[in-house]
Amino acid sequence: MIRDFFKTLVKNRKSLSGLVLLGFFVLVALFAPLLAPYPPKTDRIEHTTLIEENKSDPEVLNEEAEGQNREKSVYTVTITQKYEKTTEYFPTRAKPSKDHILGTNHAGNDLFSQIIMGTRVSLFVGLATGLFVTFISLSLALLSGYLGGILDDVISFVTNVFLVIPGLPLMIVIGTYVPMHGVLPIILILSLTSWPYPTRLLRSQVLTLKNRDFVRASKMIGERTLFLIFREILPNMISIVMSEFFTVSLSAILGEATLEFIGVGNITVVSWGTILYWAQANGAILMGAWWWFLPPGLLIALTGTAFVLINFGIDEISNPRLRKR
Amino acid sequence: MKYLARKFGMLIFTLFVSMSINFFLPRLMPGDPAKALMDRMEGVEAEKLESVRAAFGLDTKDSLPVQYGKYLLNTVKGDLGISLSRFPMPVSSVLASALPWTIGLMGLCTIIGFSIGTLLGIWAAWKRQTKLASFTVGFFTFIRSFPYFWLGLFLIYIFSFKLKVFPLGGAFSVDQTRGSAGWWLSVVQHGILPAFTITLSSIGAWLLMMRNNMINVLAEEFITLAIAKGLPMQRIRLMYAARNAILPSVTGFAMSFGFIVGGGLITEMVFAYPGMGYMLYQAVNAKDYPLMQAIFLIIAASVLVANFLADIAIMLLDPRVRDGAK
Amino acid sequence: MHADAILELRNLKAGYATNAGFVRAVDDVSLTLHRGEFLGIAGESGCGKSTLAYSIMRLLRDNARIESGSIIFDGTDITSLDEKAMNEYRWTRMAMVFQSAMNALNPVLSVEEQLVDAVLAHKQVTRADAKKTAMEMLELVDINPERIASYPHQLSGGMRQRVMIAMALLLKPDLLIMDEPTTALDVVVQRSILQKIEELRRIFGFSVIFITHDLSLLVEISDSLAIMYAGKICEYGPSREVYASPDHPYTKGLMNAFPTLTGPISRMGGIEGQAPSLLSPPPGCRFAPRCSVAIDACTKEVPLLQVTSPGRLCACRLCGGNHE
Repeated sequence: MIRDFFKTLVKNRKSLSGLVLLGFFVLVALFAPLLAPYPPKTDRIEHTTLIEENKSDPEVLNEEAEGQNREKSVYTVTITQKYEKTTEYFPTRAKPSKDHILGTNHAGNDLFSQIIMGTRVSLFVGLATGLFVTFISLSLALLSGYLGGILDDVISFVTNVFLVIPGLPLMIVIGTYVPMHGVLPIILILSLTSWPYPTRLLRSQVLTLKNRDFVRASKMIGERTLFLIFREILPNMISIVMSEFFTVSLSAILGEATLEFIGVGNITVVSWGTILYWAQANGAILMGAWWWFLPPGLLIALTGTAFVLINFGIDEISNPRLRKR
Repeated sequence: MKYLARKFGMLIFTLFVSMSINFFLPRLMPGDPAKALMDRMEGVEAEKLESVRAAFGLDTKDSLPVQYGKYLLNTVKGDLGISLSRFPMPVSSVLASALPWTIGLMGLCTIIGFSIGTLLGIWAAWKRQTKLASFTVGFFTFIRSFPYFWLGLFLIYIFSFKLKVFPLGGAFSVDQTRGSAGWWLSVVQHGILPAFTITLSSIGAWLLMMRNNMINVLAEEFITLAIAKGLPMQRIRLMYAARNAILPSVTGFAMSFGFIVGGGLITEMVFAYPGMGYMLYQAVNAKDYPLMQAIFLIIAASVLVANFLADIAIMLLDPRVRDGAK
Repeated sequence: MHADAILELRNLKAGYATNAGFVRAVDDVSLTLHRGEFLGIAGESGCGKSTLAYSIMRLLRDNARIESGSIIFDGTDITSLDEKAMNEYRWTRMAMVFQSAMNALNPVLSVEEQLVDAVLAHKQVTRADAKKTAMEMLELVDINPERIASYPHQLSGGMRQRVMIAMALLLKPDLLIMDEPTTALDVVVQRSILQKIEELRRIFGFSVIFITHDLSLLVEISDSLAIMYAGKICEYGPSREVYASPDHPYTKGLMNAFPTLTGPISRMGGIEGQAPSLLSPPPGCRFAPRCSVAIDACTKEVPLLQVTSPGRLCACRLCGGNHE
């Protein structure tokens, strides 16, 4: 069943284009250090060449004979090396040129390299959040939906409460308090505000499946709970779980960019969002520096579109009515 | 009635949870944010220091539960503390100046976005075989993938910077006297781009949702019966299809209202529109914790109220909910 | 065509376009229905009966369509009429009762609104008059007219079905098509519904096409019986006769499949195997793979409906009909 799902996913035109697009970004992210012309936080090129090396004659300090066939001597040699170092500083706030395809930012960092390396962070944060939230919401949904009872009441209640608390303001408030080391805090904060919606969605799906005849039949035969969950219910939830994964990843990428843009995230990390932060902080628009703020936004949109296309494909697979005739 | 009472109870409880988050968050953070903040503020007056300590609950000899109780009481009374970045203005006054702008902008855009999006969704579902409908759906889907703020930046670049048609930011022209006709005109002029940004981004969501709902409803048997009865297409489209398809949209609206508000906040930040969003942006940068938390609370409260209103709407629209059948 | 025939189907073919091909659920069906006649169409699930019902009223949508053949209603060929012209016939001349009233009634409109709009769509009367007509109809189906303000979810299953019947008869149509109207109800309610239909038929004199998979229902109330299998009609005749002495092996199998209430206890029969795929039906007689008396020639050519005795048709080599 799972294999069929993926086969169908690849055949559907929309999801295929989405997957290809996503694949492209993943490849860029994986090979980023090789693809970026310069390290993203460098602002100069240094050339160091050895011009001269002088080696003096050895100066003997001590000579000893040890026994009949051995001799030991200690001597010093002084080596003088002369280097020539040229430091070429990148221009700051430069327009696109041969050396810098997308120009440079306020600190002289090459923007093209930043964008390529930023792919790693943005994609990683997005997908990691997606994975984490999907795992949590699926677990909660299964516990709550399948086991029912008090556990269900408690989990549903908590979910409903956090569902209505607006996500962005909450993220901002938590984000300003939490010290930002690396990207883990951002992933956690994004996850904290994303888990309610998928949990609720998946829970209702679990409930629907639980009451389907084929599950009840298995239960009546006496199959154990774990079997029912993993072999009967879960395989029938693949499309909706995958759809949620991509939805959450999409909003995580947007969320990360937004948080960084406001300045709440970790602005020392290089991601598409931080590039935009610095662009805004340096008045890129007022300078007309379209090469600074246009590319990151476009890339975020393209990544988002990839996810949306994949989801369109998943929708059409699970709901044939949505397909074009 | 029981339905409404239950929903109202949830509203109050969630509000309570939000206030609690506000209270416990600074006290839970590692390190000592108050001290860090105070270290940063050199040569600070004694009163300001007092407020900072009060905001973090460091000064009182009261036990935690007492602090909590006082905080809840104060919040309900409307005393949200003193703003650190605009000392000694109380937070509530700062909010009062920003609130009307946000309500005006967001309120207008939400109504327009929802209406246009829903109508387009109905049309896109009805005519879904046509190329125009597919293109419209695709176009808005693509727009939705752009981060809200980037769309705003892009529009500013094109219309304000390059074409110089609209102003670069703010909500009104400072050259005009407040309340004059010219001033109102400038309000409209300043409001067009931000409104356009928010509306454009949100239409996509409504469109897609309504379209999907319509497609699902059109496959239902009662549509077949309506056709069999020989009813005019207009009536089938509205009273049979759309009337049923809009129910999940209203529910969806309630659930995503928080997200829309988020988008509106960001747009304000980009356009320096003096509403809650921009105020939040400034508060974050100035580390004005009392103001920040108050804004969070107000936003949470408005989202909750909007949700409650949507719940009422559902009750009016769906007879099954009225009888508690759902 | 007979002078008093209200409906005639000639070589009707209809089905669904799928990715794998065209599923012909109605494969070359011809029959005649006379005024006031009660025709029962029985068959297994998936034999094409519902598709047939929808085709007659031109309700096929999306990927379902009529492929070829004609539908003659009261002398007029309605097969290719456009929607506007078709609406003149819908509900005024022919109406339909669906299987699941819960799904067929609009959940957000009251019963009154749904009854009244049917009237107002075809007649130029005032709202008050339309409501009066609706309430009269509700009384005829034994529903308290005061309940007209109720919503579908507030009514019981049996009441909803009766509302559907009342709705169908509002404009006094000549033909009532009923697609498994009692399948979702319990036996007691089933009986009361059937009795009500009989009663109304006596009053108004309309013809009925009653589709079901439950043969036992039809035997008492229908005048004629048509048995459908895999998209084709395999037997037809006056219901008493078909019941008493079925010609087609399939009909025989069906008759054996439900036990009698009286008489000696005998072993219940069944029909082995499954109905064939309508995407690629087997060659020759479609029932041959499951038939206990099939001979080699049965799989070679499709048997046509032939007259076996006056008023009786059978599509089988072995019941006296010959093939072409």
